[in-house]
Amino acid sequence: MKTNDSGSGDVRLTGISKTYGSFTAVHPLDLTVPQGSFFALLGASGCGKTTTLRMIAGLEEPSSGTVHLGDLDVTALPPYKRPVNTVFQSYALFPHLDIFENVAFGLRRRGIKSVKKQVEDMLELVQLGEQARKKPHQLSGGQQQRVAVARALINHPKVLLLDEPLGALDLKLRRQMQLELKRIQTEVGITFVHVTHDQEEAMTMADTVAVMNAGRVEQLGSPADLYENPHTTFVANFLGTSNLIEAEVDSRSGGDIVLKAGGGKLVLPEARCSAPTTTGGKVLVGVRPEKISLSHADDAGEIPEGRNRITGKIADSSFIGVSTQYVIDSSVCPEFEVYAQNIDRDARLVPGADVVLHWSPAHTFGLDAAQDIDAGIQEETAV
Amino acid sequence: MATLTEAPPPLSPTAPTQKPPRKRGRLTPYWLLLPGLLWLVVFFALPMIYQASTSVQTGSLEQGYKVTWHLATYWDALSAYWPQFLRSVLYAGAATVLCLALGYPLAYLIAFRAGRWRNLIMILVIAPFFTSFLIRTLAWKTILADGGPVVGALNTLHVLDVTSWLGWTAGDRVLATPLAVVCGLTYNFLPFMILPLYSSLERIDGRLHEAAGDLYARPSTVFRKVTFPLSMPGVVSGTLLTFIPASGDYVNAELLGSTDTRMIGNVIQTQFLRVLDYPTAAALSFILMAAILFMVTFYIRRSGTEDLV
Repeated sequence: MKTNDSGSGDVRLTGISKTYGSFTAVHPLDLTVPQGSFFALLGASGCGKTTTLRMIAGLEEPSSGTVHLGDLDVTALPPYKRPVNTVFQSYALFPHLDIFENVAFGLRRRGIKSVKKQVEDMLELVQLGEQARKKPHQLSGGQQQRVAVARALINHPKVLLLDEPLGALDLKLRRQMQLELKRIQTEVGITFVHVTHDQEEAMTMADTVAVMNAGRVEQLGSPADLYENPHTTFVANFLGTSNLIEAEVDSRSGGDIVLKAGGGKLVLPEARCSAPTTTGGKVLVGVRPEKISLSHADDAGEIPEGRNRITGKIADSSFIGVSTQYVIDSSVCPEFEVYAQNIDRDARLVPGADVVLHWSPAHTFGLDAAQDIDAGIQEETAV
Repeated sequence: MATLTEAPPPLSPTAPTQKPPRKRGRLTPYWLLLPGLLWLVVFFALPMIYQASTSVQTGSLEQGYKVTWHLATYWDALSAYWPQFLRSVLYAGAATVLCLALGYPLAYLIAFRAGRWRNLIMILVIAPFFTSFLIRTLAWKTILADGGPVVGALNTLHVLDVTSWLGWTAGDRVLATPLAVVCGLTYNFLPFMILPLYSSLERIDGRLHEAAGDLYARPSTVFRKVTFPLSMPGVVSGTLLTFIPASGDYVNAELLGSTDTRMIGNVIQTQFLRVLDYPTAAALSFILMAAILFMVTFYIRRSGTEDLV
C-alpha cells in the first residue's frame, strides 16, 4: 500500500450539515475516514448519505461545518480544486468522447501532456484495454462502470468517492464488481468512500460502515461489530434481520442482567446492552435468527443449562437449500425468525410442532425500549 | 415433405381465414403515409417539376413560353445577378453569426439558470410569432427611422461614424443600409436559433457538468470541453434554420433596405411579379437551391455532427 505523508489522507468532517429550506438533509455530523480505508455510508434513500458524499466532493455547499482532507481545509474550494474524484451513480461518462479521452480527461485538465502510457495502464487495470477507441454507449453497463472508476482513479485522488456505483447493474455483475472494486482499492491504497443502500454490499466491501438514518449517523463500526452488536433498532433491523423482544429488567448478577419476558427469564451480558437499565425498566432484547437453535418440545430436557430459552409453535417453515427458515409463534413475539443450517434435519420440526428456541446469552443484545421497534425494516428485502 | 404436409391438418382450415387481416395490417402504415405523400406530390414535387420546366423555356408573355431546353438562361441569370447572390450569402451569414452570438447565451440561460422563469422566457421568445412577419419588420422601420431615438443615440455615441466607415451604414442613416437589413434578418430569425439550441442544451445531463468539474475542469473549460461539444446538434440545426430562410428572404431587404441592399430573394420576386420573366426567375430559384444544398452539405460534413444527432 502506498502511504503518502502519514495522516494527510484522512477525510475529516466537522459539524457538517446541509439544510434545504426547512428540510434538514444532514444534521451536524462529525466523521473521520482514516487514510487508506474502505469506508461505506449505508442507509435507505433520502437518509443524507449522498448529500454527505457530495459535500466532500464540493458539489454541494455545506450549511455549516468544515471538510478537511488531511490538513487542508477544502470547505471553500470548488470541486475542480479538490484532490478528490467521484464515480457517479449513472457514471456520467462524456458521450462525445471515446473511452480513452474519457479516462484522460482529468489528466489533460491538469495540463499533463503525455497521457498515453498512464491511460493505457489504467485501462489495463480495469481490463478495458481493447475498448479504448469505443464510445461509452457502445459498452455494457459493467464496462461503463469500470470506465467511470478508471476515469476517477487515474488522477490518484486523495479520496475516491463512489455514489451508488453498482446500483444500475444486475445482481451477478454487482457481486463481481464488488470484489473487483475491493481488489482495486487494495491495489492502489487510496481511501474509498462508498455510498450505498445495499447492506450486503457495504458489509462485503467496507472496513468501516457508517449507518445513516434521517440525516444522522446511527452507528459506526466494522461490519461484524455493527451486525453482532447493534446499538439502535434501526441498525438491528436494517443490517440483516433481528428478533426484538420487549422485556423488563428483573435483577443483576455478576456482569449479566436478568430480564423477564412473557413469563420466562432471559440473560443479557451488561456489556452488550446499549440502553440504560434500571430495575423494573423496559429494554428491547435482540437476537439474530441464525444464532438460535431449535429443539422439539419433547427434547427440552436435553438443552444445556444457562441458555436463553423461549417456547413456541412453528407457524411456517421454508427450505432455502443451505438453511431452513422458520417463523415461530412464541409467547413473547408472534413472528420469531429462526434460520437453521441444514445439517441434521429433525423431521418433527414441521408447522404446528411445539418447539423450544434457545441461544447463548453472549449472542443477546439490549436496546433502548423507547425506540420504534420496527425502525429500519425494509419493504423490499430482496435488493 | 410428405410428412410435413400431413402433420398440421387441424390448423390448415383456419390458416387462410387468418391471412387477409394480417395482410391489411401490413398495409396500414402505407395508408397512413398516403395523405402526407399526396401533400408532398401536389405541393412540392409538382411545383418543382413545373418550375424546372419553366426555367428551360423561352418565349415572351405575349407569344407564350415553350420548353426549348435553353440552359443558357442559367448562365445569363448567374452572370447578371451574382452580386445579389453574394450579398444574400453575406447578409444571411452575418445574421446567422449574430443570431448565434445572441441566441446561445439566452438558450444557455433558459436551459440551466432560469429555474421557475424558464417558461416565461420561452413564451417571450416565441411571443413575436403571434404578430405577422410583415408587421414586425415594419416596426423595425419605425425603430430605425431617420432622426429617431435609436439613430440619435448611435450618432451621439459615434457608433455611426464607425459603421459608416465600414460601409454598413450611410451618413446619419441606419434605415436603407446593410446594417438595417442584417438587423432585421437577425431579429426575425432569432427564435429559430434559440429553440433548437435550447432543446439540445436542455438535454445535456447536468451530472456531466458535475463530472467535468470533479475532474479538474474549471467552469470555462467545462463549457469548452463538455457543454459546447454536446450542444453541437443544436448549433448546426439552429444555424441551418436561420441561414437557409435568411438567404432566400426578401422582406427585410425590401422594407429596411435600399436598391443597394437587394438580395437574391428580391431579384426573384421582381422577375416573377413585375418583369414577368418566368424562366429567369425559375432559374434563379434553382441556382439558389443548389447553392444552399451545396453549402449545407459541406457544413454538416465539416461540423462532424452526424454521430451526435
